[in-house]
Amino acid sequence: MSGTSLIILPRPPRLRQRLFWIGFVVLFCWCLYDFGFSPQRIWQGLGRLGNVLSFMFPPHLWTEWSEFSQILQGLGETLAMAFLGTFLGALVAFPLSFLGARTINRMGWPRFCLRRGFDVIRAFETLILALIFIRAFGLGPLAGVLAIAVSEIGVLAKLYAEAIENTSSRPVEGVQASGGSVVQGIRIGLLPQVMPVLMSITLYNFESNVRSGTILGIVGAGGIGFLLADRMGAYRWDETWSIIILIIAMVYLIDGLSGWIRRRLIRPSSA
Amino acid sequence: MLSLDGICCRFGDTRAVDRVSLDIPAGQFVGIIGPSGAGKSTLLRLINRLVERSEGGIHFGSREITGLRGRALRQWRRDCAMIFQQFNLVDRLDVLTNVLVGRIADHGLISSMTMRFSDSERELAFHALDRLGMAHKALERAGNLSGGQQQRVAIARALVQRPHVMLADEPIASLDPGNATRVMDALRRINREDGLTVLVNLHTLDTARAYCDRIVAMRAGRVMFDGTARQLTPDVVRDLYGTDGLGQIDESVTSTSLRRLELA
Repeated sequence: MSGTSLIILPRPPRLRQRLFWIGFVVLFCWCLYDFGFSPQRIWQGLGRLGNVLSFMFPPHLWTEWSEFSQILQGLGETLAMAFLGTFLGALVAFPLSFLGARTINRMGWPRFCLRRGFDVIRAFETLILALIFIRAFGLGPLAGVLAIAVSEIGVLAKLYAEAIENTSSRPVEGVQASGGSVVQGIRIGLLPQVMPVLMSITLYNFESNVRSGTILGIVGAGGIGFLLADRMGAYRWDETWSIIILIIAMVYLIDGLSGWIRRRLIRPSSA
Repeated sequence: MLSLDGICCRFGDTRAVDRVSLDIPAGQFVGIIGPSGAGKSTLLRLINRLVERSEGGIHFGSREITGLRGRALRQWRRDCAMIFQQFNLVDRLDVLTNVLVGRIADHGLISSMTMRFSDSERELAFHALDRLGMAHKALERAGNLSGGQQQRVAIARALVQRPHVMLADEPIASLDPGNATRVMDALRRINREDGLTVLVNLHTLDTARAYCDRIVAMRAGRVMFDGTARQLTPDVVRDLYGTDGLGQIDESVTSTSLRRLELA
């Protein structure tokens, strides 16, 4: 060591690093052991997976319109559930988000409680909500729509509130300095700033709800998932595969469409 | 007549404005100068009540300003328009709508929620834009305009408030010399033609000298000087800004005037 060094470098925390890696490896190995991972089992499983995949080819082509229209109806139902659920969620989340935004609601405690309330809602996976709502409202799309709507309230209210907090206060101040009230300041100074962002967030969540909405049918909450689970249960793998392809196509289409709209919405200036 | 009577504003332990008393006759063009943090901005904000005073009173004619609430306060803010260094326009709205915001104090909840304005209000707004040479930009987004143009839109918004007093908080601090001159000329024209009282915060001494009937200098929240441009001698300026490490303050260093540049 050179004695002239003026800067004392902090000693690298070697021990801590080593302990971390040892802990990580131990945890990993224990998980493998506990879940009974063995090369043999993986190999067997892969063989069976190959069987299932081979049953899937060639994909089924529906020749009867009545059968195909049933599939289309399922896809349409999933879309409609995602749309209605997201819309209802947004409708409730919008006013709540203002109460949850630090820049609007200056009352610390009520705001804190509301924000934690959003967190509680978000802690429930949509699927769990669907199972609960099926008990209450019976099988079918109503339970699915409600499940999406409720979980969207938590997510959207949080995202909206953050978007509102990220706006500039200057336009609002400008409106108030002209004699505007707080509400007028929000309407005229804040909403034009934040609205494109809120629309974009909502569309993105709609996309994601179309994707996750396919699952809801599997537990009986309406949509294409029900047909998917039905075909799997009946070992009709070729039809299963065709439905999966259609789902992929639908999701791809919706993603593209809403991505295009979102890009137009948040573009800073259009003449 | 706008009178400030021993007005104070404290934020915690700091006195942003400390016992300021001023009488400003109607129609005067007053420049407020002073180093950064002297309380110039706070003083203007106290007058239109964007900041609350700690002590003292403000009167406009017989109207007591510091106690106004609700609707009366909104009407006072309408009568006492303010323009800002950063313009404070709504970038995503078009220029005409931004100017119409000046009419907002007289609008109820419903018409302001739908942002519906009457034809006569539109005409007024268009006329104000025209006075400032901005009528051709009426339908453009405010955010797409240059700083100087935005500031003129902000002045048009202030004009449609049909105010008695115009407060301008560093209106030219972020503008180039050409736009600074245009904005100051516009303020002076409004002052002369409409007889509006104008209070403007300035960083540049030569601008204050060129435009203001009266110059008020503040330092550490207090009024250090109150007089005409002629009375603002180099000694006063040195006292005001301090001379740490400076032999002399050269006003042309901070000048934004075009005339001076042309002479050089």
